[in-house]
Amino acid sequence: MADLAEIKATIETALPGAEVEVADETGTGDHLRATVTAPQFDGLSRIDQHRLVKTAVKERFDDGTIHALSLKTQAPG
Amino acid sequence: MADAELKQKVEELIAANPVLLFMKGTPEAPRCGFSMRVVQALDTMDVEYGAIDVLPALQPLREVTTEISDWQTFPQLYVNGELLGGADIVEEMLESGELAEALGVEQPAEVAAAPAAPPAQSPPLQIDGS
Repeated sequence: MADLAEIKATIETALPGAEVEVADETGTGDHLRATVTAPQFDGLSRIDQHRLVKTAVKERFDDGTIHALSLKTQAPG
Repeated sequence: MADAELKQKVEELIAANPVLLFMKGTPEAPRCGFSMRVVQALDTMDVEYGAIDVLPALQPLREVTTEISDWQTFPQLYVNGELLGGADIVEEMLESGELAEALGVEQPAEVAAAPAAPPAQSPPLQIDGS
């Protein structure tokens, strides 16, 4: 069961200045959906934007806290 | 450390198939909702693609794609040797027209019309593939 606030904070720490929303998609706490708007995404392909976020939360995947994270990413503006 | 022989095989497949989908199950019988969503996106495009069922060798393939593309989850859609993305990215790119662009095909009319202002007569998009 993931702590949504902790996941949000982890992403925000990895991507300073990012706007992050994290939601529990299934009510089970391990299938999450995140919307991330970050200045670091500027000029990156979607896959690279997703890589940045996935890298930020990798530890929570590796320890089994999160099973799935649906992502929607965009650069600001 | 990924299996070297499998990694080479995967690299050859990616090089040999301009559009290649690693998925759980087959296009005819996807065994994961995310894989099904990518199949549905591809099926709206007039494009041939190769599909590989990862389930028989899930963990070894995960290790291989982690090394090749720094990506661990399936489905994975490769276009012209590059990882385009999984279900979220493919669907976003489908709606924005970037998928058609990446595949080098025309954006299908029903998709182009769907997100912003669907015409009154247009039938609802069929997203239930079962």
